[in-house]
Amino acid sequence: MFKRLLWHLLCGNKIRLMVALLALISGAAVISALMNLEFGVNRELAQEFRSLGANMVISALSEPADAGGTAAPLLIDVSVMQSLQVLQSSSVQAAPFLYLAARVNSTSNQNVVIAGTWLDRATQLFPWWQVTRGQSVSRADLTRCWIGRNVSRSLHLVVGSKLPIQYGTRTVDLTVAAIVDAGGPADNQVFVNLPVAQDLTGADGKAQFIELSVPGSTEDIRAVQNHLQSLLPGLSVKPIPQITEAEGSLLRRIRFLILSTGILILVLTALCILATMTALAMERRKDVGLMKALGGSMRKVLRIFFAEVGVLALVGGILGYGLGMILSFWMGQRVFGASIMPRWEVLPATVALMLLVTFAGALPLRFLGNIRPAVILRGD
Amino acid sequence: MFIRLVKESFLRNPRRKLLTGIAIVLGMTVATATFTVAVDVGDQLAREFRSFGANLLVTPRADTLPVEIGGVDYRPVSEGAYLSEADLPKLKTIFWRHNILGFSPFLDVPVGVTDYQHAPSGTNFSATLIGTWYKHPVSVEDGSTFITGASFTHPWWKIRGRWFADDSAECIVGASLAEKYGVRIGDLLKLSRQGSSDTKEFTVAGIVSTGDSEDDAILCPLSVAQDLAGKHGEFRSLFLSALTKPEDAFSRRNPNTMSPADFDRWYCTPYISSISRQIEEVFPDTQVRPIRRIADTEGRVLSHVSLLLWIVTIAALIAAALAVAATSATTAMERRSEMGLMKALGASNVLVGSLFLAEQILLGVVGGCIGFAIGAGLARELGETVFGFATSPRLSVLPVILAGAMLIVIIGSWIPLYRAAHLSPAPILRGE
Repeated sequence: MFKRLLWHLLCGNKIRLMVALLALISGAAVISALMNLEFGVNRELAQEFRSLGANMVISALSEPADAGGTAAPLLIDVSVMQSLQVLQSSSVQAAPFLYLAARVNSTSNQNVVIAGTWLDRATQLFPWWQVTRGQSVSRADLTRCWIGRNVSRSLHLVVGSKLPIQYGTRTVDLTVAAIVDAGGPADNQVFVNLPVAQDLTGADGKAQFIELSVPGSTEDIRAVQNHLQSLLPGLSVKPIPQITEAEGSLLRRIRFLILSTGILILVLTALCILATMTALAMERRKDVGLMKALGGSMRKVLRIFFAEVGVLALVGGILGYGLGMILSFWMGQRVFGASIMPRWEVLPATVALMLLVTFAGALPLRFLGNIRPAVILRGD
Repeated sequence: MFIRLVKESFLRNPRRKLLTGIAIVLGMTVATATFTVAVDVGDQLAREFRSFGANLLVTPRADTLPVEIGGVDYRPVSEGAYLSEADLPKLKTIFWRHNILGFSPFLDVPVGVTDYQHAPSGTNFSATLIGTWYKHPVSVEDGSTFITGASFTHPWWKIRGRWFADDSAECIVGASLAEKYGVRIGDLLKLSRQGSSDTKEFTVAGIVSTGDSEDDAILCPLSVAQDLAGKHGEFRSLFLSALTKPEDAFSRRNPNTMSPADFDRWYCTPYISSISRQIEEVFPDTQVRPIRRIADTEGRVLSHVSLLLWIVTIAALIAAALAVAATSATTAMERRSEMGLMKALGASNVLVGSLFLAEQILLGVVGGCIGFAIGAGLARELGETVFGFATSPRLSVLPVILAGAMLIVIIGSWIPLYRAAHLSPAPILRGE
């Protein structure tokens, strides 16, 4: 009897049903898409900011100089990179650096900065580099180098040119493998693999510092810093303030912006559905009156109507969730070029919210209990 | 008669109107708030990005290759080309002058440090003296004064003690250098240019920590560094912080091959490339290059975040529109018996339809106005909490909101009204 009544109510007016369902589905779709996005967007945004490159640096602790000490840069062992292996899994990028100012052995006799690093890592650590017209160089290659744009201009070098370098009494002959447009100081530098720079300076197995690119929020970065500091007690592990501070504050603001826009839309969409459901419930006044006149108790009558809106909310919530997942997936593809995976915990949240909103919308029906059936049936 | 009928309908049963009204107000609040935020957020975020510091670097075109490791130039002062300080006010005369938020000239001088308090006897080490501005007034052609310096282009520098006063014989010392050699605030540093014997004394006003090579350098006012280097009114490089619009396909085209109309559009848009071009025009013989580490990230994050917000806004708009349409459809359906009565009394379909549409449109206008006011307030609140900057309500949005509200209620009520109009009055009046 209960089921049959419910079925008849739902099928009674198809248009009305469609209208209410449409409002519920669209609301649920936006709400679940926003919730899903909120989970996925943090990771994507943190990833976006990794295009800033290194945000942490490991260097030697500066010690007080003895009297008349010279400002020779303190070096660290490259073997430290071994202990960074533990972090590689968490998509932390790292590369050692050793800088020196050497002389170009040609007619110009120009001084140039040589940066020794791992050339195969450079483009990951400096994602904004545009490596033009060149080939990649493996880490073990000791004869080829990358040169900055300005170096190429002022020394008239192209890919394939020879570049003889002299530092003190040591020399090395390099071949230009690629030209780097870095939009920064690296435009004036020559990049070689670390062993080349070590051979020139005689600092075997040493580097000046290690740069790291650590993804995540300010807290994540601090956690990695503390972890590294405990692993490497003799070295200084410091975030690069230009990057980490601005990145942290921007991330916080963008997240807060998306979160607050999301909550605003959530609340207002819920209220819109509430208004729709209230309108639907008000329409049921006549049916309530009729049922009461036929001797139905208020409780029984209300149960039927709440079951009706409950079914609506359930169906609307589930369909809306499906639509919302597609929406957020598409948003992720369109905005970040990465897929934002559906999260199952969003489904119960969406359905619960829809139920809450529809029941709140159906509440005015309760007050109909005070009205005498005759009044309603007369159509007043 | 028509107007009286509409009026009566509103006065007789205000509760019925209330529901549609509330739905419209809420829907339009969502529309206004999200739209206003989405429009303003690009500008505000671009401003926030300036906390990364300078995004443009100006250097002399005919320069020799800088021997620069981590931002400090190790060339002797006699080598390479210089820029003239007298040209700097021209920066505030370019087309996008208001987008230039700050700039600071830099001059690096290799120096020897010979003496300071707490120094072990016979101390003599070499370091780099960087001359720059902290907060320096620049008088602009139009008579105003523009205050700029490292505090705008390098906002992440942390100072212990205080900054040097411009034009005074004070300096601040990099944190690593200070630690290494035991230099303290208040010390008197004796510096001499490398290869010259005249020394100059500086009071250490503060210790700066930058996370970069300035930590191993000494910073002093530009004019003092110029004196020491013998390069009056000259500097090596200029860091510039400008508000820019993210790069797009149009800005990546080569401006030299654009049609005149396209060139004008490019020139009058604050792309980083067009601002660079305008700076090169007022600053002869320079090369202006974006600092790509900052500029690239800024462009990408900005365009992605505003795209995200636009999509969210549009999704919210569609949801609000559907909810409003659903409510107005439901209330229109409720009125069937009323329509049946009117038709039974001889009213034409057109009259009945236009009467109800007039009611709905009136609701749409009133609800739209209220929703606009609430939405503008919400957007303002949101802007203030996120950016500490109140978004101004955009009156240009109001007609769009109103038109949207009316269109949605008309679409929402159309089908029920149409169906009601084509039913014969008798069954409706019987209540079937």
